[in-house]
Amino acid sequence: MAIKLFTLIFISLGFANLSSAETIKIGVVGPRTGSAAAEGTAFDEGIALALDAIRAKGGIHGSSVEVVFEDTGGGPEKAAAAFEKLVTKDKVAIVLGESHSSAALAEIEVANRYHTPFIVAEAWADAIMEKKYPSVFRAGPYNTDVVNSTIVQFIKEGHFKKVSIVAENSDWGKGIGALTDSALKKEKIEHSLTEVDQNAKDFYPSLNKVKTEKPDLVLAYIYSFGLHTFVSQARELSVSPNALVLDGAGPPSLWGEFWTNVGKAGDGELFISPMHESVQPNAEAKAFWNAYKKKFSKSPSDYKIRSAYITVLLAADALERANSTEPSDVVNALEKTNFSAPTGKIHFGTKQGDIHYHQWSPQMLAVQWQNRKQVVVFPKNVATGTIEFSK
Amino acid sequence: MATKSKRSIKWLIGISIALAALLLPKFASDYGIHIAIISLFYVLMSSSWNLVAGFTGQVSFAHAAFAAIGAYASSLMAIHYNLPIPLTIVFGTCIAGTLGHVLGRLCLPLGGTYLSLVTLSFAEILRIVITNEDQWTRGTMGLQVPGIFRDYSKTKYYLLFLAITVFAVLGLNLLIRSRMGLRFRAVMDDEIAAASVGVHTTNIRVLAFTLSSLIAGLAGALYGHYAMLISPDIGSLAQMFLILAMTMIGGLGSIEGPIFGAILLEVLSEQIRSFGEYHLLVFGVISLLIVRFAPQGLAGLLRRQRWKLF
Repeated sequence: MAIKLFTLIFISLGFANLSSAETIKIGVVGPRTGSAAAEGTAFDEGIALALDAIRAKGGIHGSSVEVVFEDTGGGPEKAAAAFEKLVTKDKVAIVLGESHSSAALAEIEVANRYHTPFIVAEAWADAIMEKKYPSVFRAGPYNTDVVNSTIVQFIKEGHFKKVSIVAENSDWGKGIGALTDSALKKEKIEHSLTEVDQNAKDFYPSLNKVKTEKPDLVLAYIYSFGLHTFVSQARELSVSPNALVLDGAGPPSLWGEFWTNVGKAGDGELFISPMHESVQPNAEAKAFWNAYKKKFSKSPSDYKIRSAYITVLLAADALERANSTEPSDVVNALEKTNFSAPTGKIHFGTKQGDIHYHQWSPQMLAVQWQNRKQVVVFPKNVATGTIEFSK
Repeated sequence: MATKSKRSIKWLIGISIALAALLLPKFASDYGIHIAIISLFYVLMSSSWNLVAGFTGQVSFAHAAFAAIGAYASSLMAIHYNLPIPLTIVFGTCIAGTLGHVLGRLCLPLGGTYLSLVTLSFAEILRIVITNEDQWTRGTMGLQVPGIFRDYSKTKYYLLFLAITVFAVLGLNLLIRSRMGLRFRAVMDDEIAAASVGVHTTNIRVLAFTLSSLIAGLAGALYGHYAMLISPDIGSLAQMFLILAMTMIGGLGSIEGPIFGAILLEVLSEQIRSFGEYHLLVFGVISLLIVRFAPQGLAGLLRRQRWKLF
């Protein structure tokens, strides 16, 4: 028994850790469990589509590609451990993914320690790129850009006079809440900022405060199912539809459970998203949409499916151009990226000290649920309708 | 003659294990060393919990909470006062020990179920405080912690954890074999009889509880500076139940049991990572089977085959 026990322990300690030279491994980090497990499903679908595309091209210089997906549960400790496992056990050439800022902030430390190329897909906190780690890239939205290019412009274009910001106490929520607060101050738009617990189920105290402020727009920086509860309780207290509610993240308003959880309160709700069926800027966007429909017999809903798809293809493109799995070669290749993605041409800034350093973000849209149909209301050049105020 | 040869075999096994442990960084991958470090953290945690539960018969659910106290106290001192890390680790350990002593003084006279309930509440209160005081602790967002060594080296961390774990386990072994250890067991076996021969039962329990909290605080502080990131998860009830399962499966009330249990379950949990949160369910089932068919745990099974290490 003792011999068996020691054998098991020694095997597990990595003495028999060999990987096939024919296969290039790409690591993915993201939540498959916890309150945002739906993101894991979205990532899975995007990865499957990307792998189909890579296989159709004959792999990377003839080598097949394997994706190793590690669950982070959305928590920073688990995320750091998952990243460490991908690098030290699975020996992946590059890591991508993530949709929680706190988890990404933990992962970048591990990426920097091992010099592992890491492409952040969907974690928005500015702090992730502020450390300017040489191996860390972001090919997705970030708070400053979302606030300045989308939210503030949407508020100005919609002529909203009074805004209530309700932000959860996560890295993303605190960051985007503070940025919106200062941007609205600069624009001299009357507003308030309320912080709520990211695991809160009861928003009545905050919503009662919001009700007294009589806003015409409520910015809900709340993620996961908490957003559903918030939207539903806002209607119960008649905060909406007097004020419109804008989901500042997006995916929770697109999850299958949204209408079951919010009922009528969902109609008129707005959300942020970089993806909509009517907004297909290039042939790659149409190809993605068609490939998804063919594979899954439905239209893609959560835009994080497309984010995972893009980042896997981006990683494969860098590995192909680098013709190596050496971290420094892959980082060099990523810096020279000029990739046609469904969201547009992706290229990363390389000037140290610049906000665009190793960063690229897609154009974001504001979409409104109108009679349970998605209508793009911002920006004007791609809008499919206008904002519908309370009836 | 037979006893002499058995003793030689035991020495041989002991030396082999010591050599394997020392040489492990030479052969294991970074990932292997990482698992070994986490295993040593759990050896410290389950061995110290065993001191209270296995040798004085008191079930505390605040053990993981004391690790959290050690981790946060040390980390916050290092971050805000820029003190040398070894000093902050000592500080974190002392804070955990002091709070353990205060909690023990307050609750141990209650004994039994009341102690379990109070420690359970204490752990939950601490988790809520850490989660909500995010301006200090960063709550569930996780607190970035400086490392002990300037140049990150898993081998250095491994050797540090190994040295401290060996020191702690040998210290606990000496304690259990001393007259004080006899008092510990006397209190557990028959409190009234122990009191009738002059043993101050509450003081004995408080001593065990304080020592146990002290070691948990040390383990937590070391873990924080190794992982370089801590969150309220370190003091969670899931963590507590993992430590409990490690001790039960390894063998409650023996020195070698928690060592076996901690290493086996850490290695097993890496093997079943893909089960996600369900890995605790797997450990629960194993614990149930062990309690039913081998109540003395793995150490008991080995002892039945007359393989007693300590």
